[in-house]
Amino acid sequence: MDIAAFLHVLWLARMPILKGVGVTISISALAIVVGTLVGVGVGLVLTYGKGPLRWLVRGYTDFIRGTPVLVLVLASYYVLGTVGVDLGPFEAGVFALAVFCSSHVGEIVRGALQSIPRGQTEAAKAIGLTFPQTFAYVLGPQALRQMLPAWVNTAAEMVKASTLLSIIGVGELLLRTQELISRTFMSLEFYLFAGLLYFVINYGIERFGRYIERKTSVPS
Amino acid sequence: MKLSLLAATAALALISAMPASAQENKSKLDEVLARGHLIMGTGSTNAPWHFKSIDDKLQGFDIDMGRIVAKALFNDPGKIEFVIQSSDARIPNITTNKVDLTCQFMTVTGERAQQVAFTIPYYREGVGLMLKADGKYADYAALKAAGSGVTISVLQNVYAESMVHAALPEAKVDQYDSVDLIYQALESGRADAVATDQSSLSWYMQQNPDRYKDAGYGWNPQSYACGVKRGDQDWLNFVDTALHEAMTGVEFDSYAKSFKTWFGKDLEPPQIGFPVEYK
Repeated sequence: MDIAAFLHVLWLARMPILKGVGVTISISALAIVVGTLVGVGVGLVLTYGKGPLRWLVRGYTDFIRGTPVLVLVLASYYVLGTVGVDLGPFEAGVFALAVFCSSHVGEIVRGALQSIPRGQTEAAKAIGLTFPQTFAYVLGPQALRQMLPAWVNTAAEMVKASTLLSIIGVGELLLRTQELISRTFMSLEFYLFAGLLYFVINYGIERFGRYIERKTSVPS
Repeated sequence: MKLSLLAATAALALISAMPASAQENKSKLDEVLARGHLIMGTGSTNAPWHFKSIDDKLQGFDIDMGRIVAKALFNDPGKIEFVIQSSDARIPNITTNKVDLTCQFMTVTGERAQQVAFTIPYYREGVGLMLKADGKYADYAALKAAGSGVTISVLQNVYAESMVHAALPEAKVDQYDSVDLIYQALESGRADAVATDQSSLSWYMQQNPDRYKDAGYGWNPQSYACGVKRGDQDWLNFVDTALHEAMTGVEFDSYAKSFKTWFGKDLEPPQIGFPVEYK
């Protein structure tokens, strides 16, 4: 491996790589944000919902969690088109990842809420808090601490899953890397470099998660 | 009387409705013309067919074929939008209307022809052998004469071994995971020749002038053609006409220029007089 030659090629290829990193980050960020918002709703219904609504959401989570992300990506690109929702590759990909993310976050939220002892809810009732108040001041903050590590894990999974969007032609980091390899014939070097970039992105997410954990931890 | 009047009115309504329904089944050709640009599916990771230039522009022989069709449509080769797709997506993207046309080094096979309509072929691919210019073996005959003494590097594939043995029955076959590694094997002397698609070889030789040579033998022929959705003869005829005239008629110069750029070979202009295709 000729390092100097690779660095030269890498420098010339900096724009496509940066664009790829940008697309990877936008896909992941959108999927994580939308998936988390929907996922919190899913988690609340799974924990406190009743009857048909809960069965429906239960079915949704089980179905999505039991499906490979690649299948979701292909389905949202091809199958939605046949029922009139014709999404572009980027939108279809973000949609699929957000749906996948929401089912995972839903389960994380449910697990966190159910791990809080019943006595907490009862105590809140005893001092006259309404349910929204109970959630905002008693259950929410405790659940947040419980779910953070698992949520960071899911977020990192989303970044990795974003590589699957290269299949439907979204110019994210992996596809950009493959494009560069086809021109330069330097496969090992570019795949290693892409791996490094993915690590940096995920390490950033991990540090961010740790930061939030510190901010929300109970002062001792 | 009243009933027959009703029937006549109904029949009249039916007739007047017919042109409207015929309008709804209009060809992709009209749709593309009305839209004002062509949407072509292709890849971005295979030189010299469809890949990105150093300034991040899509280029290659497939891309030029698309531009030829765009020029036939709008008299402007730039009125084309490319949808990047993986090889697996070639057929689904045609059948689900994501693209008007796919030109992505698609090998014509009977199985695929049942799913999409193929245009006329625009290239005949085959496997070739590349040697080092100053190497031990001069050409294909020398490689064959050397029998089991030669090592051939190929891309890993289930049929790689039998593919090489079709041309060199006794040669040793070394399989590698990626394209750069098969070339590296030749460069480092671990292999005596590389066997892969001739288009890839000629592109590589053009990128590294005077270092390699073609052994002068090709086998495993396969036709590359564009694909369109089945059941639209008008559109298929149009793309066929555009490609045909690029290879034999008014657009020959742009086809030949592209051929020279990507495969490094000059084409003889079609013979004037009796049409070449009936020779």
